[in-house]
Amino acid sequence: MPEKLKIGVYTCYCGGNISHTVKCEQVAKVMESQPDVVISRTNMSLCSDAGQSQIEQDIKELGVNRVVIGACAPSLHEQTFRGTVMRAGLNPFLYHHIGLREQDSWVHTCDCDGATCKAMHLMAAGIAKARHLQPLEPIRLEAEKQALVIGGGVAGLRAALDIARQGLRVVLIEKSPFIGGRMAQLEAVFPTGEKARDLLCDLVKKVAGHPNIKLYTQAEVTGVTGYVGNYGVRILQHSRGVSAEDAQALMTACKKEVPDEFNYGLSQRKVIYQPFEGCYPQLPAVDWENYQGEPISLNGGQPIVLEDAPQTFDVSVGAIVVATGFDPYEPRQGEYSYGELKEVVTLPQLIRHLALMKSGEALTWNGHPVRDVALIHCVGSREIEGVDEPHEDGQVNNYCSRVCCTASLHMAVELHEKFPALNIYELYQDIRTYGRGHEDYYRGALDGGVRFVRYSGEERPQVTPAPTGDTHPVLLRVKDSLTYNEELEIPVDLVVLAVGMVPRQIDDLVNMLKVSRGTDRFLLEVHPKLRPVETAVNGVILAGTAQGPMNIQESLSAASAAAAKVLTLLGRGKVELPPFVAAVDAEKCNGTGACVEACQYDGAIALQTFTENGKEIKRAVVTPANCVGCGACVAACPNRAIDVQGWTLSQYEAMVDAIGMNIVDLVEA
Amino acid sequence: MSRVDPTLLHELKEYGAVGIEKCFNCGNCTAICPLASDEYPFPRSVIRRAQIGDKERMKSQLDPWLCYYCGDCSATCPKGAEPGETMMASRRWLTGQYDWTGLARKFYTSLAWELGSIILVGLLVVWIIAMFHGPLVTERVELNTFAPLHIVHLADWVMAGALVFFIATNVLRMYWLTMRRDGQKIPFKFYVTEAWQLVLHALTQKRWATCAADEKDEKTRNAKRTARTIHLLLVSGYGLMLVLIIFFLSWFQTDNIYPLWHPQRWLGYYATVVLLLGAGWALWGRVKKEVEMHRFSHPSDWIFPILLLVVTLTGILQHAFRYWDMPLATYYTYVVHLAFTAPMLILEVPFGKWAHLYYRPLAVYFQAVKEKAKAEQQVPEGALAAAD
Repeated sequence: MPEKLKIGVYTCYCGGNISHTVKCEQVAKVMESQPDVVISRTNMSLCSDAGQSQIEQDIKELGVNRVVIGACAPSLHEQTFRGTVMRAGLNPFLYHHIGLREQDSWVHTCDCDGATCKAMHLMAAGIAKARHLQPLEPIRLEAEKQALVIGGGVAGLRAALDIARQGLRVVLIEKSPFIGGRMAQLEAVFPTGEKARDLLCDLVKKVAGHPNIKLYTQAEVTGVTGYVGNYGVRILQHSRGVSAEDAQALMTACKKEVPDEFNYGLSQRKVIYQPFEGCYPQLPAVDWENYQGEPISLNGGQPIVLEDAPQTFDVSVGAIVVATGFDPYEPRQGEYSYGELKEVVTLPQLIRHLALMKSGEALTWNGHPVRDVALIHCVGSREIEGVDEPHEDGQVNNYCSRVCCTASLHMAVELHEKFPALNIYELYQDIRTYGRGHEDYYRGALDGGVRFVRYSGEERPQVTPAPTGDTHPVLLRVKDSLTYNEELEIPVDLVVLAVGMVPRQIDDLVNMLKVSRGTDRFLLEVHPKLRPVETAVNGVILAGTAQGPMNIQESLSAASAAAAKVLTLLGRGKVELPPFVAAVDAEKCNGTGACVEACQYDGAIALQTFTENGKEIKRAVVTPANCVGCGACVAACPNRAIDVQGWTLSQYEAMVDAIGMNIVDLVEA
Repeated sequence: MSRVDPTLLHELKEYGAVGIEKCFNCGNCTAICPLASDEYPFPRSVIRRAQIGDKERMKSQLDPWLCYYCGDCSATCPKGAEPGETMMASRRWLTGQYDWTGLARKFYTSLAWELGSIILVGLLVVWIIAMFHGPLVTERVELNTFAPLHIVHLADWVMAGALVFFIATNVLRMYWLTMRRDGQKIPFKFYVTEAWQLVLHALTQKRWATCAADEKDEKTRNAKRTARTIHLLLVSGYGLMLVLIIFFLSWFQTDNIYPLWHPQRWLGYYATVVLLLGAGWALWGRVKKEVEMHRFSHPSDWIFPILLLVVTLTGILQHAFRYWDMPLATYYTYVVHLAFTAPMLILEVPFGKWAHLYYRPLAVYFQAVKEKAKAEQQVPEGALAAAD
């Protein structure tokens, strides 16, 4: 005999948020008379300890076995009350939450009676649903105690190391032949002034020496299957092309040179190369994209042709950390005369240029001494729709890249220290030196005589070649709000564009992982505050600048957070998922396959052949880990054989009936 | 459009500016300044022009002269950019810009030039007197025999003529730079109708009173008032002396001894006392560095009051020696007195710190003229309708 339903109904005042509009006492009184309701209470603040204790007490003392709460939005406190119910010994899914605040009181502040009627309908619907609630269990899955980290930049390295140190295995893959990422291209970094590659080297050593980490360079993801705890990832790895024995000889013998991307094209490198001294792995690699089978003669011997033999292999991982990083914004041809005037460079280029200079050497560009230099902030950042030209995808980069202000000021201070006679201009919109110690660079720049010129995003500075006979090769024209919006002409020898960060081209990976992107095209987290490093795809975690502009410090924090998420997910070797997934009623299913067609999620539902009483029959089977509970299959099934657990069709029908009731009937019930 | 010139900042530093580069243009200085207005938003306007090196606007602005260095701006500045001292340095720089001879620029930027010139002119005076002086009567004091009045008077007039020439030409340049170059049409009549402002402000520094008017802190208010009062006394002292020497030398340089109640004596004593007070106060203030206007001292800030002090003291000595009937001592102190007076007048008035005595009231006057012209150009509301 099924147990007798005893429903406890709770209407929360929410400290006035609800009760100022909704007459909570009336609502509670009417709910009291609803069928199966044994207790209906109000509370000033149900989420308080006292409020929760009251519910627990009712469950224990009155035998309440279904709980209906009308309070704030379920996104806020549904979890709280699940815990409350569970503590009292009830199945946590025998509880239903109604968002009286967001759905009612906040949107009907001018209509108390109307809001009260609505509250009654909503609560009645909740009670109707509660009558159909069944105990549910979370989905528990075995989890692979291994994680994949995509990207060997500083964020990927940090995440890999943090995970590995807790005893989980890590597969770390890097697309390029060397790890270190963008940070390796930096020199002294703010706010400490330490050498970027020294810091990186420290991390690389630990990663390289860790027994739990397997590193694959020149490797990329070509396929992803499975779900949280059990991802199957196909990886393609190119060959190194050289061995420890012949590497040096081959490098020397190789003649073909291409622009060196490590120095942003300021220098040339061979197609068999090491990007910088102390790189890891140390073994040179062949740049297969640019090496096109040119024969190489070793010590006058027979010319050899090197060949790439890519290998594909699969790894099983429980979670995937995406640490694919960023690209510095590449200005369009002609943007600030970039690409047209040799004197216009990007900040990353200038960093490499300074690094390539001998110490004590005077600052020159293009063979000419640099006496005056201007840094323009917000290039490729904080663009305004309708003012700035859209990029290829039709969008403008309206976000702030966050690191460029401090990076520019850091550069200005460094330039001033190295070349005290240099006149430096900073053309900015706002100085956003938000981090600890960052403001010191602004102060240092001011005290060092760096001149600040403030432009508006509506009217960006113009860079033009100076007329012949001018003292300087380039003229900057800018409307300066610090000089009463007058237009200034600044003669300079070098213009440095403080370019922002843009997401990397990872469309294939994004499609494979099914993660979402924000409007800024960076990868999107579930919630910026509450779940800042998780994606909407269970088990796919973000680390570093793949998610948005960050400085090194922030990238590392994000990477460690990602590692912590991986560890909580996989640490117990099991993964728990909410039970709100499709469930097939085997009795009713006759294998039409409509559900499989309707399903948009790979591997969530499939037809399987069963042998029953000697007959082969087809039936739909759900793989809960792949199901998101969208309900598309429920709608498609002609036999009502599928339901989403916790939101079944019969529950919906009961709710609709209650909502549709005449308020008089409801009150008089 | 203004072309940025990074050299101006370094130039101004030679004129004694400190900390301009620290300014981050918050505008607190202008907000606190009792004299700044929307049209003349100094000190920030001046600092900004200096930062970006807008030499043209720097030259054509009147703003630096409209400030009396109460120092509220420097005290308020959150960055230690010393806006007050920037205004001071700008005045020195402008004096150098107005001066066509280039001497002002030399004196302000090179101590050797300034001291050397003072010594040179002093020695020249000694040499001229050594060559042309009359007989040294030793029985009694006969200064007019040693330095015949008509010759001294003539020398005075020659010197006054030279001063007028340099001042007039420099003032013309100031007029050209500040009144003609911005393209504003200014009817001549306003130069006449506003002329009273020139006299008023030259004699009273009336606007200086505004600096103290809104001051809440009593101590600071008193300090501000003291500064203006002492300055007024000082002006009255040297004004009086100038009039006496140029127009009444025969009455003033005399071997007669007048009774104490005679104006020749008490006017002289009055002038001496206020000159001592003024010069002494300025020097003491610069030593103590307690008030804003005295915290920074350019060499020119020392040299002028020192000269004034020495001139006054030698004048007193010479006067005393005459009364004590010490002929030789009188003659020698007289020579020393002139050897300091001549360079002080010849160098400091047209080319040095003392030039502010006419540039400042002229700036107030020009400002008034500009404002009148502007008010006239703005067609009053309803005027057009009336014309229809």
